[in-house]
Amino acid sequence: MSAVRRRSAAFPDGGPQGGNDPSAGGGPAGPPFLRVSGLRAGYGPARVLNGIELVVGEGEMVAVLGPNGAGKTTLLRALSGMVRGRGSVRLRGTEILGKAPEEVARLGVTHVPEGRGTFAPLTVEENLRIGAHLRRRSHVAEDMRRVLAYFPLLQAHLRQPAGSLSGGEQQMLAVGRALMAQPRLLLLDEPSRGLAPVTTRRLFDVLRAVNLHDGVTVIVVEQNAQLALEFASRALVMETGRLALAGEAGRLGPGRRVASAYLGPRR
Amino acid sequence: MSDLLLQVVQGLSLGAVYAGLALALVLVHRFTGIVNFAQGELAMLSTYVAWQLLDAGMPFWAALPVTLAVSVAGGMLVERLVIRRVEGGGELTLVAVTVGLLIFVNAAAGLVWSFAVRSFPNPFPAALGFGSAQSGFSALGVLGVVAVVMLALYVLFRHTGAGLIMRAVVADPVSARLAGIRVGRVLGLGWGLAAGVGAVAGVLVAPLLFLEPNMMGGVLVYALAAAVLGAFRDPVVTVAAGLGLGVAETLAGTYVGFVGADLKVAVPLLVIVAVLLLPRRAAETAPER
Ligand SMILES: Nc1ncnc2c1ncn2[C@@H]1O[C@H](COP(=O)(O)OP(=O)(O)OP(=O)(O)O)[C@@H](O)[C@H]1O
Ligand SMILES: [Mg+2]
Repeated sequence: MSAVRRRSAAFPDGGPQGGNDPSAGGGPAGPPFLRVSGLRAGYGPARVLNGIELVVGEGEMVAVLGPNGAGKTTLLRALSGMVRGRGSVRLRGTEILGKAPEEVARLGVTHVPEGRGTFAPLTVEENLRIGAHLRRRSHVAEDMRRVLAYFPLLQAHLRQPAGSLSGGEQQMLAVGRALMAQPRLLLLDEPSRGLAPVTTRRLFDVLRAVNLHDGVTVIVVEQNAQLALEFASRALVMETGRLALAGEAGRLGPGRRVASAYLGPRR
Repeated sequence: MSDLLLQVVQGLSLGAVYAGLALALVLVHRFTGIVNFAQGELAMLSTYVAWQLLDAGMPFWAALPVTLAVSVAGGMLVERLVIRRVEGGGELTLVAVTVGLLIFVNAAAGLVWSFAVRSFPNPFPAALGFGSAQSGFSALGVLGVVAVVMLALYVLFRHTGAGLIMRAVVADPVSARLAGIRVGRVLGLGWGLAAGVGAVAGVLVAPLLFLEPNMMGGVLVYALAAAVLGAFRDPVVTVAAGLGLGVAETLAGTYVGFVGADLKVAVPLLVIVAVLLLPRRAAETAPER
């Protein structure tokens, strides 16, 4: 896998905050970066996703909101191959639905799952090295410095087993490990869970930096709607297995339709 | 060498063989959560491979690496063809499968090579003198080879990228897959490694026990006892337990009148029972390695 570190040329109309048409991100002629169509998935007989339609342009940062049990986690799992699904998920035109998670990961899709994602008995440094195991050895030291600059709290714990970190530190390590892979598409499931408010903002600053400077496309599930709407270029609201509303975060701030669809009536 | 010292050294070398096979059991269990009752029979098969190579005129220290390579490939093949098909099948299914494999490999070896007892050359020539001195030196040779294998495993797991990936798979296979690690292949490699380590144990024990399809039965019992003592997880305790069992068995067979050659197989059984009767607390607070 080659390093994905282009300063994204994928914002033909002025960056992720602009443009109404997310499919424009794929370049003028080529297929869109990510196109999900008619995605249905579930667990055994229980259907959770009921036909998801979604197009994400390269370099976008998309937030997914929605009540508990709506299927947000299941959506990310279907995208990364952890649950099987029907329909179609194309990454730059390549069908990835039906591929094993490790093969999807090798195409540059890194999923930081809900709640965990670190190797507890391995040290922090080893965790970061695992994240980079598909990359050239010569890049690893520099990537490690960069990730540690994003999460300086980890620096002091490099030789400690990941399992001995605090919950918030583990969450940072999980994101740091994902960044070590230099993903093209980063899927994050409630990365702010268990983080102090200040740390949460710091984490989202990092995500924004990665998104803007490295051109990494980000899909982040986030319960904190205010935060998601502030940082993401678009917010999707999921309700019982469907994407109920998609809009531009900057324009549909809280208090507009997103707010009534997700946050409930205005206080 | 004094008689007692010689007994201890011989016990240690026998124990090193138990430790080797026990490590193979621990490896398979750590990678795939399976107690492979067929581990000893796979080692026996490896020993026959070595014997065929020696029989064809290959020198021992050339036959050993070839045997190891064949064994690693064989272990991976078993994982691929048998174990992967029954993986999520529950513990009892897996026990049935590995016990079935034990019986199958044993019978197949009997069919191919017959149950006749053959002698297997001792790779360690008499460096000095005869009699007790020679068996003392070959015992030290066995110990040395097992030590080298353990060192190699340590270096592999602690100081190589491949070892890091294997430890990640053992720690959390789901996260490993999300990190792009081809877990299936790594598990196969784990079985291959275990078969290689078992092969070393088989080849080393063959000159002591003679070569025949049932040669590993007793060794497996001791190795299981050592693995149980190490809670199927701790390599250091496992190896120490294997060595201790070897010494205990040898000394008991020689010095405790009523034990003798026949009853000494009961030693590992006593150990297993004693360990299982120990307070559970000790095992539960053991740190994760
Ligand atoms: N492993 C599973 N097996 C069976 N059903 C599951 C499983 N995981 C989730 N579900 C079901 O799928 C539905 C959607 O779950 P999902 O985890 O995708 O929701 P979510 O939107 O992520 O919720 P939350 O905000 O609480 O994380 C729920 O009804 C849940 O009961
Ligand atoms: Mg969820």
